Amino acid sequence: MSSKFWFLTKQSLKKKVHSKWFVIVNILLAISIIALINIQSIITFFGGDFNQSTEVFVIDLTEVSFPIFKESIQQLMNDEKDQSGEIIVKNTEKTEQEWEKSLESNQVLIVFLEDSDFYVKAKMISKEKIDNNTYQYLLQGLNATKMSVSLMKENMDAEVLSAISAPINCERVVLDEKKSVDENMELIMSTVFPTLILPFFMLIIFLVQMIGGEICEEKTTRSMEIIISNVSPKVHLLSKIVASNLFIIGQGILLVLYAIIGFFLGTKGQGFAVSSGVDSLLSTLMEAGFLDKLLHFIPSAFIIMILSFLAYSLVAGILASMTTNMEDFQQIQTPIMLILLLGYYLAIMAGMFEGSSFIKVLSYVPFLSCFISPSLYMMGQIGIIDIMISIVLLIGFIFFLLKYGLRIYKIGILNYSNEKIWSRFAKAIKSKDDSKTPF
Amino acid sequence: MLRVENIVKYYGENKAVDHLSFEVENGEIFGLLGENGAGKTTTFRIIMGLLEASSGDVFLDGKKIDYSVTDQIGYVTEERSLLTKMTVKEQIIFYGVLKGMKEEDILEELKKWLKEFQIEGYENRKIKELSKGNQQKIQFISAVIHHPKLLILDEPFTGLDPINVELMKKAIYRLQKEGCSIIFSSHQMEHIENFCEKLIILVKGKAIVDGYVGDIKKEYKKKNIVLRGENLPIDAIEKIPGVISVSKKNNEYELKISEESVASKVFAKIKNKKITKYDVTEPTLNEIFIEKVGGVHE
Repeated sequence: MSSKFWFLTKQSLKKKVHSKWFVIVNILLAISIIALINIQSIITFFGGDFNQSTEVFVIDLTEVSFPIFKESIQQLMNDEKDQSGEIIVKNTEKTEQEWEKSLESNQVLIVFLEDSDFYVKAKMISKEKIDNNTYQYLLQGLNATKMSVSLMKENMDAEVLSAISAPINCERVVLDEKKSVDENMELIMSTVFPTLILPFFMLIIFLVQMIGGEICEEKTTRSMEIIISNVSPKVHLLSKIVASNLFIIGQGILLVLYAIIGFFLGTKGQGFAVSSGVDSLLSTLMEAGFLDKLLHFIPSAFIIMILSFLAYSLVAGILASMTTNMEDFQQIQTPIMLILLLGYYLAIMAGMFEGSSFIKVLSYVPFLSCFISPSLYMMGQIGIIDIMISIVLLIGFIFFLLKYGLRIYKIGILNYSNEKIWSRFAKAIKSKDDSKTPF
Repeated sequence: MLRVENIVKYYGENKAVDHLSFEVENGEIFGLLGENGAGKTTTFRIIMGLLEASSGDVFLDGKKIDYSVTDQIGYVTEERSLLTKMTVKEQIIFYGVLKGMKEEDILEELKKWLKEFQIEGYENRKIKELSKGNQQKIQFISAVIHHPKLLILDEPFTGLDPINVELMKKAIYRLQKEGCSIIFSSHQMEHIENFCEKLIILVKGKAIVDGYVGDIKKEYKKKNIVLRGENLPIDAIEKIPGVISVSKKNNEYELKISEESVASKVFAKIKNKKITKYDVTEPTLNEIFIEKVGGVHE
């Protein structure tokens, strides 16, 4: 019997992998993921108004502002490796009236004027609306110039100014080690975690569809009768589950691989650079201890993930056995999709409702635990013990599905009628003596 | 040898099979007849182990049906049970391996069968691309590829033209000669009449006719007389007690009589006429089936 089990598993897996759709979907996935990771570089590569250089002409009536302003802008441009266009600051001898007649769309005129109350004031003239990033840089440069000119006029030296404007050095100490999570983590969780669990969410949807589709196909073509006359329903279902889970895990590894290729291309390949957004996000994550925590969490996350795959596969198989065609399966699987969505949203919302008892209780519930538990753990709202409770409950739930769900599966896969379907399945669940059945 | 012992199957309150017993010897072709819903497919499913009988047992060569036995059974289902996205080769390998065969043996057998059914070179064609008749041939091959001891044929000639019916009949006879027990079900009575030595007619799951085809026909009292001649006294013949009906087909009359003794009374009425044909025949299986099944419905 075990050779037939492996044969069915191999056939099922082969059917999925040797399909042209598998190749096409993976090519599309690889392109999408690599493109998504390097989206900023791609946009910049193709260019546009956003990366045009801007010429800034300065009429300095204060006689001290121009060099300070020029240096401030250069400093800002060096600090922010942004994809915006270059800002070139030049002094000009032409008058304001002359410039007003000749200003072009990529040119800005700044006039520094003396001000008796506020030391220095400025006027910014452009032909049309300036790109938002450029405008922000110019404003920052102007403020920095005003500050420096003001201090100079008040005879204050640069070191004092630097000390005044530097952020406070605050040492953060949390006495409870279990909850020693950076406060930034909650903010990060609401943005990063949904992205991290999105592939998992997608893989479960694939899994449910795949198992259901395959069982429905075998039922509708009546080949199920031939298969079940040679292998038991249990062997049949388990072979489908093993094949689909292996496929899903493989697909998950491929997704990670595409992401790694994306990062690799971003850093090494063809002069592209990882976007400053991703770069700064990664460093923020490192600082917040996210990656460190993630590494500690990986073993239990892996267990909860595999067990959840199993639970979802079992339910998908059992539901598919109850239906008589693909349309019925599409309808009956809707609750699974809703549960998946609920888990996904609760994982995102966990960051907004810190310490929510409701979300914490739901983090133990099988089907939801795979989304919520990791999220709560990463935010320091639950500990590893809570994760263990979720795992134990999940194992219990799988055992329950194997014990009672298989009875439904056995009756369901050879049933082609919707008549009295629920009473038939209820009877199947209640049937205690399995030994009476032929297999 | 297949032995079905007093099987009963309930679906809720409904009795689908009612104390059914029969035996099929090695190399014997057995007919299972019945109108739609009579319990034929349920019986087949019980024999295949797909369904659990409410009571009773099924044995193949003295061994109760389980997965060690079902490897020796071939089953052609009434509706086509093929995975249409597969190629012919993939499909036959799939079912063959499930029957415990090795891939190389399957391919060797497949070659022979494709040649026998005159569809050589079809190995790599997708099932969905084949005609209904050729799909039926593939389904048949998938059921016999492992040389089963018992072959269940539920409407095996569906979708086949007369030439291909003959090809399949030849194949079935060959399997019979090899000692395979065959259970055959068809709505076409002439197939059953030609094929089967023994049969059962099921009505509402119960066997109402059971035995050798020849014996069933002999035991059936009603006979038919075919008459051809000039100036036949049809009105007088119709009035003879025991003459059930008289019908005219082309230039012949067909009489249905209640028992064989009526034939002499009919002959007495026409013996002085110019008769070119007088033939007393046994009823067809179709007539027996209609009367038996219809009688239960009345």
